[in-house]
Amino acid sequence: MLSILRGFLILTAFLMLGDIIVELFALPLSSGVAGMLLLTLWLLLRRRLSHDLDAASQPLIGMLALLIMPGVVGIFFQADEFSGQWLTIFIALVLGTLLSSLTTLWLMQRLVSMSGERPHE
Amino acid sequence: MSEFLLRLESLANMLPQRPETAIVLTLAAYFAGLRLFGWLRSPAWCPPILLAACLLAGLLALLPLDYTEYRRGVGWLTWLLGPATVALGVPLYQQLHHVRTLWKPIVLTLPPAAILAAGYAVSIAWLLDAPPTVLASLAPKSVTAPIAMGIVEELQGSVSLLMGALLITGVMATLSITLLARLGNIHDQRVIGFALGVNGHAIGTVRAFDIGPTAGAFASLGMSLTGVFTALWLPLMWHIMG
Repeated sequence: MLSILRGFLILTAFLMLGDIIVELFALPLSSGVAGMLLLTLWLLLRRRLSHDLDAASQPLIGMLALLIMPGVVGIFFQADEFSGQWLTIFIALVLGTLLSSLTTLWLMQRLVSMSGERPHE
Repeated sequence: MSEFLLRLESLANMLPQRPETAIVLTLAAYFAGLRLFGWLRSPAWCPPILLAACLLAGLLALLPLDYTEYRRGVGWLTWLLGPATVALGVPLYQQLHHVRTLWKPIVLTLPPAAILAAGYAVSIAWLLDAPPTVLASLAPKSVTAPIAMGIVEELQGSVSLLMGALLITGVMATLSITLLARLGNIHDQRVIGFALGVNGHAIGTVRAFDIGPTAGAFASLGMSLTGVFTALWLPLMWHIMG
C-alpha cells in the first residue's frame, strides 16, 4: 500500500513538473502528456523501473475507462449542439478510419517485407 | 414527524451537490456496465464503457441531478486522469525495445499513419462543411482517450463529441483492419498489431491482444507512439493553420 502511495507521489510530481513546463514555455500540450513524456525520458535515462512506480501505474491505467466515463456521458446531454451534423460526423469517422487503416497496413507491410529481405542494411 | 419531513426535503436538495453522490453513481454504473458486458458475451462492437455510459446517462436523466452539477461533483475522480496519463509513460518505456528490433518500418510508418489517421477524417468533414468545433473534436480521434482529451482542450473542441468519435473510430478500425488483413493476406502479427494500435487506440489494442501477445505488444506501442506524436504535431499544426 505504501509502495502505491510512493509511486503515486512520483506520478503526481511528474504531473506538476509537466504543469510547470507547459506554463513556462507556453507549450500547446496538456500537462498530463508533458508529464508522461518527462517520465518516459527519466525512465530511459535511469534504465530501470522502480517497483513503486509500477505498483501505482498498473491500477491507474486499469482505471482509465472509469475515469473517462464522465466525459463520455456528456454526449447524451450535449447532443443538441451537434444536431444536423451527425451524418457528416459519421461519414468522416467511418470513411476516414477505413482509409487510414488501409494506408497503415499497406505501408507497414511493405516496409517490413523490405527490411526482411535485407536484414543487415 | 413534520420536522423529519423537512429534514428529508433538505436532504433531497443537498444530496445532488455532494461529490459522493456523483462518485457512487459513476462507480455503480461502471460495475453494472462490466456485468452487462459479460452477460452479452463480450460483444466487440460495444465496449463495456459504452454500456456503462448509457446506464449512467439513464441514471442522470431519471434523478434530479443535472449534468453540470454532476461534473462538478465527480471532479475528484476525473482529476485522477492527470496522474493516469503520466502513468502511460511506464508501458511506453517498457515497449520501446520493440522499436529497436524493427525501428525502420516503425519510424517510417508512424508519422504518415498518425497524420493520416487525423487527416482523412478532418478533410472529409471539412469537405462536407462541418464547423470548426466539429473538426477540432474529430482531429484526435485515433489517439488514446486521456491524451486525446488533453489535445481536444488545446484545439477547443468538444470533449463529449470526441468521446463518441473515439468509440466509433476504435470499433471501425478493429473491424476494417481485421477484414483488410484477411483480404490482403497479411498474417504478420507485428503489422496487424501496429495498425490496430495506431488507428484504433485502446479498443484496437484490446483486439490485438486477442490475436496474440506479439500483436498486443505492437498495438500498445503503436497506440503510445501515436498518442505522443499526435499530441506534439496536432496542436502546433492547428495553431499554424489558424
